[in-house]
Amino acid sequence: MAVATDQVTLQVDGVSVTVPKGTLILDAAKKLGIDIPIFCSHPKMEPVAVCRMCLIEVEKMPKLQPACAIPVAEGMVVRTLTDKVKQYQQGVLEFLLINHPLDCPICDKGGECPLQDQTFQYGPGASRYDFQKAHFDKAVPLSDKIVLDRERCILCWRCTRFTEEISGERELALIKRGVHTIIGTFNDEPAQSVYQGNWTEICPVGALTSRQYRFISRPWDLDRTPSVCPGCAMGCNIQIDSRHNKIGRFQSRENLEVDDGWLCDQGRYSFPYFQRDQEFGSPSIRRDGQLAAVSYPEAVAEAAARLQRAGSSAAGWASPGATNEELFLFQRLFRETLKSPHLDHRQQGIHETDPEDIGLPIADIERCDHVVVLGGQEVIDAAPVLHLRLHKSQRHGVAVHRVDEVKAGLAAVPAEATVVGVLATAARRADAITLQNQLVSKVKGSVRRLIVVRGPNGRGAKDLGILPHLGPGYAVLNGRAGRPRAEWPKAGIRALYIYDASPLQEFGATEAELDWLRSLDTVIVQRFKPSVLDEYAHVVLPGRAFPEKDGTMTSMEGRVQRIATGIDAAHVWDDWRILQAVANAMGAGWPYRTSESIFADLAKAVPAYAAAAPAQGRVLWGER
Amino acid sequence: MAEKKILTKDFGAPGLAHLAGYEQTGGYQAYQKALKELQPDALVEMVKKSGLRGRGGAGFGTGQKWSFLPKGVYPRYLVINADESEPGCFKDRYLLEASPHQVVEGLLIAAFAIGCNLAFIYIRGEYLPQHEALEWALAEARQAGYIGKNVLGSGFDVDVILHRGAGAYICGEETALLTSLEGYRGEPRLKPPFPAIKGLYGKPTVVNNVETVATLPHIVSNGPDWFATIGTETGKGTRLWCMSGHVNRPGNYEMEMGAPIRELIYDLGGGVWKNRKLKAFQPGGASMMVLLPQHLDVGLDFDAIQKAGSLAGAGAMVVMDETTCMVDMCRRYVEFFHHESCGKCTPCREGTFWMTNVLTRIEEGEGKAGDADLLLEMGNNIDGRSFCPLGDASTWFPRSCIKYFRDEFEQHVTEHACPFRKERVMVA
Repeated sequence: MAVATDQVTLQVDGVSVTVPKGTLILDAAKKLGIDIPIFCSHPKMEPVAVCRMCLIEVEKMPKLQPACAIPVAEGMVVRTLTDKVKQYQQGVLEFLLINHPLDCPICDKGGECPLQDQTFQYGPGASRYDFQKAHFDKAVPLSDKIVLDRERCILCWRCTRFTEEISGERELALIKRGVHTIIGTFNDEPAQSVYQGNWTEICPVGALTSRQYRFISRPWDLDRTPSVCPGCAMGCNIQIDSRHNKIGRFQSRENLEVDDGWLCDQGRYSFPYFQRDQEFGSPSIRRDGQLAAVSYPEAVAEAAARLQRAGSSAAGWASPGATNEELFLFQRLFRETLKSPHLDHRQQGIHETDPEDIGLPIADIERCDHVVVLGGQEVIDAAPVLHLRLHKSQRHGVAVHRVDEVKAGLAAVPAEATVVGVLATAARRADAITLQNQLVSKVKGSVRRLIVVRGPNGRGAKDLGILPHLGPGYAVLNGRAGRPRAEWPKAGIRALYIYDASPLQEFGATEAELDWLRSLDTVIVQRFKPSVLDEYAHVVLPGRAFPEKDGTMTSMEGRVQRIATGIDAAHVWDDWRILQAVANAMGAGWPYRTSESIFADLAKAVPAYAAAAPAQGRVLWGER
Repeated sequence: MAEKKILTKDFGAPGLAHLAGYEQTGGYQAYQKALKELQPDALVEMVKKSGLRGRGGAGFGTGQKWSFLPKGVYPRYLVINADESEPGCFKDRYLLEASPHQVVEGLLIAAFAIGCNLAFIYIRGEYLPQHEALEWALAEARQAGYIGKNVLGSGFDVDVILHRGAGAYICGEETALLTSLEGYRGEPRLKPPFPAIKGLYGKPTVVNNVETVATLPHIVSNGPDWFATIGTETGKGTRLWCMSGHVNRPGNYEMEMGAPIRELIYDLGGGVWKNRKLKAFQPGGASMMVLLPQHLDVGLDFDAIQKAGSLAGAGAMVVMDETTCMVDMCRRYVEFFHHESCGKCTPCREGTFWMTNVLTRIEEGEGKAGDADLLLEMGNNIDGRSFCPLGDASTWFPRSCIKYFRDEFEQHVTEHACPFRKERVMVA
């Protein structure tokens, strides 16, 4: 229980509320369900009180006070519904609109615009302003991703503060002054940030809009589906907004433990890769050197027959963009049905792959006192939203050391450090473990690591045994280990099954591997969009893109999260269904009807997954 | 009646702008006395006891302001606000030009009193000769050992940085000044925290006006009791009044607090020019509310002027004769605030723009019935609602003019023209 002195009791509109000391009036009111209108205020940024929308009455204070910036005090009496407040709210909205173009009918924001909504709720019915409005540039390209409409801008500073406080890039600034003030980049150079999409989400008007989404849809026409970003292993929560069964945009779906409400542009603007903007071919079988369209059952039968001929000399590669359910079935197909141990999900090289124990959950970066980013920018490039968490932590006093070498990382952290984190990409996992071990002997506190694996489900692929030397749950294979992908061309492999689940994490064959593919008896390609591999395939099994299926993904920190079907592709078989059909054609007898039923079996095979199922909100093998 | 000269008593003495001349008039004696005989805390008490109130505009107790600094938090900074930009104000310019050392000595006393080792002077960018005078004075003071390490063997270290502003009125507002001094856009900061707690570079900071610190050597030399005998109950000492407008002898006049306005305008200023009648006057500068001939016997003092319905502000006295169009005055002033609005907050940014449009329309004879009320309502939505006093102040003069001269506004509207156009004279 909190200590009494840390709590403050105040009254808002006659109702008492007790909140922690330091709470802003706005948040205390929110706790009571009292909505104070805001524009500039943002829960993740320091209060600036520039828009003046949130002014309310506080007893004993002669002037109206900004609820977004004033902390509560014991015995404070706040009034948000007085005539004085209401009259002022009309006044400030009238001010905000005198130079606003009111082009709502053609504005992307219309329908989800705080300015529009609050004008309806709190504004005057009509304006008394009868002069020419101040005119500014419209449709200013800020970058290849963002368009700025300077007339719609109400100068709330959210975007400029984002680039200062959230990303630390200081890319947007206020230029000129007074009514002529505009937002812009230095010298009008294109913005370089990889977090620009967030600007459009925090903009309380239609000033900053995404080029990809311009004039695509009205918000009320969108279907919204919760999902997880397919870009990288970070596991940022997204919402797939679609219209007429087409993806319109990805929006963030705040998860404080993971993304803190932000997305990177790589992830946000990746949706065209998953757009079924044309038909991507039916199942097909190579006959006389040409791919010929067949039905799913025919293609499945052909694939099964070919795989069965290869038996334990078949190899399987599955993308780290596939769901846990699909990966689980994929490894069962190989280990149980074909008795082949040759499984992999990795692209090139062999990375040592042990369980990710002593892991550092993403949100715990903020609770470290020292964080070593081994590889610096390459770690950020692999999971860009990680930078925002690091920047936030740094602002709150966490020492973040960006180093290239283990030695430098060891030197950067003092012996007194109590909570230390090591961040690295999978490519430098061995170095990260070396550093972690050395730090453990040096510092007095704990040292945990966070490895940025490849792909949104690279972690799941490891956990579920899409590896030649470890089974599901990192089970040791006792001499039954297979060969890693790099050795396949020289391992007597006769058939290769490539499950190329995501255009963002493709098989990515080298020239040498393509030569090898050409020499193989059997190449089976299961994929979403046509790819170069189709040329080498004997059987092509078209599957679905991630917005078209449901299942779970495991992020790099070991968080198992659900993706849901947002786009209907009923005419295309679900990927797990294809895998099950291939296995069953060889007599496997799997009974799955839904991805949930697969997860149930998966959780039995890897019990940690039962404990970390999406509903649990926990990370795998985590302490919390 | 004459002026009561304290700050300006030696003005005109030969070489006053230079160290030797200033020392001849007793200059830097107060500083030496402070260093040798007084503890910082005693100095703060002395200034509190003197009743000195800030001369920048708000009239806040100087000693009280100093005592808001949190104990034991260092470094702490002293910043002298020499960004005098209020239309109608030119007293700091006069003080800096005529006797820059007096300002420097006052600054050094203040720095010693509050335990500041690095002080700043933020001077208006347009004040180039005054900047040069200060630069010269600082160099001389440095050379004489008044500025530097272990000043005169007292153990007190002090340095002064002189910084030129870049031409924004808003930077006269103390938090905007600090922001600008740090190298950012000149925009006011959220208060609280007040500068005393979190000011320049996040450190405890005192911002004092030029005239305020120029008064300090006299308080130290003659004692707080002497100072407290001058002026009124709540306004001690003298003030420089910058008189301009339709008056025979415009200029700076140092007056005892509480002396009647009539003395300033008529006895010292020689009355309204061209034998015209006094229509109105405005104490405090462009921001402040207009007063009428009926207020001529009000005392030149913070509280008396406030009671009369205006504010003493930074000590300007703008005199308007009977040919002055009050609508045009409003238009000019509001246009100024519109031009100088930093754009940070909505009411000031949009409100000054809209008010300018309305006032221009009325002055051009295109006003609409109800425009005066529209201005009042707009003023109500700006005053007390904007982020800093710039927005608030933009509404005070026009609203007071509508209060006293509503007929004039309505005459503009009904006659579709400015009744003063033919004989209008440029003011301010």
